[in-house]
Amino acid sequence: MAITTATRASERRFTLGRRARRLIADGLTYAILVLGLLVVLVPLYWMVATSLKTSTALFLIPPQIVPQPIRWHNYVEVWRLVPLAQYFANSIFVTALAMGGEILTCALVGYGFARYQFPGRDLLFAIMLGTMMLPGVITMIPSFIIWARWLGRYDTFSPMTVGALFAWGPAYIFLLRQFFLTIPRDIEEAAIIDGANVVQLFFRVMLPLVKPALLAIAVLSFSGNWNNFLSPLIYLSTPDKFTLPLGLYQFNSALAGGGEAPKWNYMMAMTVLMALPVVLLYFRAQRYFIEGLTVGAVKA
Amino acid sequence: MVQWYARTLIDYLIAAGGILLVMVLVYYGLTRLGLRREAATGYALIMPWLLGLVIWTAYPIGASLYYSFTDFNGLQPPHWVGLSNYQRLLAPNSYFWPSLRMTLLYGALSLPIGLALSLAVAMLLARDVRGIGFWRTMFYIPAVIPTVATIILWIWLLSTDGLVNQVLSPFYRLVGMQRPSWFTDPRYALPGLIIMSLWGVFGANTVILLAGLKNIPHHLYEAVEIDGGGAWAKFRYVTLPMVSPTLFYTLVLGVIAAVKTFEPGVFIRLPRATGTFLQVLVYQYAFGTRALMGLASALSWIMLIIIALLTLLVFRTSALWVYYEGERRR
Repeated sequence: MAITTATRASERRFTLGRRARRLIADGLTYAILVLGLLVVLVPLYWMVATSLKTSTALFLIPPQIVPQPIRWHNYVEVWRLVPLAQYFANSIFVTALAMGGEILTCALVGYGFARYQFPGRDLLFAIMLGTMMLPGVITMIPSFIIWARWLGRYDTFSPMTVGALFAWGPAYIFLLRQFFLTIPRDIEEAAIIDGANVVQLFFRVMLPLVKPALLAIAVLSFSGNWNNFLSPLIYLSTPDKFTLPLGLYQFNSALAGGGEAPKWNYMMAMTVLMALPVVLLYFRAQRYFIEGLTVGAVKA
Repeated sequence: MVQWYARTLIDYLIAAGGILLVMVLVYYGLTRLGLRREAATGYALIMPWLLGLVIWTAYPIGASLYYSFTDFNGLQPPHWVGLSNYQRLLAPNSYFWPSLRMTLLYGALSLPIGLALSLAVAMLLARDVRGIGFWRTMFYIPAVIPTVATIILWIWLLSTDGLVNQVLSPFYRLVGMQRPSWFTDPRYALPGLIIMSLWGVFGANTVILLAGLKNIPHHLYEAVEIDGGGAWAKFRYVTLPMVSPTLFYTLVLGVIAAVKTFEPGVFIRLPRATGTFLQVLVYQYAFGTRALMGLASALSWIMLIIIALLTLLVFRTSALWVYYEGERRR
């Protein structure tokens, strides 16, 4: 009797110790996470706060944490300072075409690799994965020669959009193939018995079944094309044709070269406006962002 | 304005029609030749990619290799000059060397620090924290912000009167130093770039590593506990080996991404002594006022070789530290 009580007591002390340790560990975990969160969010807060400041409030010491007064007018002003509406229209146009072409053709290719047997398939698939490692600079100059000299498409949107029809983005093809592989063959066989041809099979049966993967690619492709800076920089020369990243670059270097005091409030307002569509999309569709990222890495 | 859009739309439709036509022709041509319908369909379906491979990858690779041995300004036909582009780049006083140093140092510092940080955050998030969705969402935000926006934000944050210097000013006073202007001072340019990259990059890697950590079966940790192992033993003998394939994946992609760094070098006018990123140098040679496309092609080939060597190194050493669960079972 005495012995059992003693054992129980020591057991209890042991569990209490464990629980205390667990409590400390949890506390530390949350403390570090909060610290990390601050590191992530403070720069973003500063971006928004700067965009709402007057020019005189920009360089105050100590800095104003909350803008005084809040100058919403900066957001009206930037549309007049630079042809921002034009940049937006161009970016939307380029992104929509590139995204559409990319998703459709990557799905076709992914379906081909997932479902059809043909000689050399595995070799071609390996080559496709290999192209993921190829640095873009290697093909940059010859591609420029093709578009600009041979096809006469310098200073047009074609290089940034038409190329997407050739299923650029091997990572997307890979992701879609993985998704198609998870779909049971019975579904297709049933459709074939019902008299579906390849086109109907693909558009009516298979595409709706891989909708999560299509959405994952759509959000990744949207942000990739929306943020694309290198191709517009190389191919576009007329300022009215600039996309948002290039317009922002132009504004930035005009200020840096002109000897003016940097208009950080306007710059940050433009930056916020450019980032906003992607951030909003992220909050609506973050599940697909994350799915798209992790499929290749973990489930491969 | 409308005609630019119309012109691109016409190009787009022509290309789409052309690709579709090739797909149809391939299908009928191959079945005519007696190939099984399934195989013909397969070839037809991968045609968009296969055409792209030939037109936009294979031909350009060959062409750029050829250009790299020529003097070429994009207008006149290339003029064969043998190895002189490479000799010019590798000459002792060439701007290539500081840029190579800069690019490699940037990769060698930002990549391991970034991966260690993402792994640490991912491990914290893997500990059944409350509101995992919230944390994951928040930590991933920097990866969503457009690169261009991130760079402009950090130029502002790291300027002489910027927020970072304001926050650090008590520390500066303590050690008796001036507020650095990060991106114009050769001593601080690289640390500044690394700070910027750490903020932007660790989001995506954290999410990928978290997914890897979540795949580790729980019973392995219990086994260590039964053997009396502590937190370190769990990390060393379970977490690290089990997450090593994911770590390997992020490392390979990270090496390639680091060598390809471009935007920061274009937006930030780095002091000449620090050099610039190699890809920026390629861009400046090719599309600068002198249009040295041959020289730029040679440099892009040197970059390819560097990436290949580094990737090979990672792959070779991976046998020592990457553990594949499936391999042992076989």
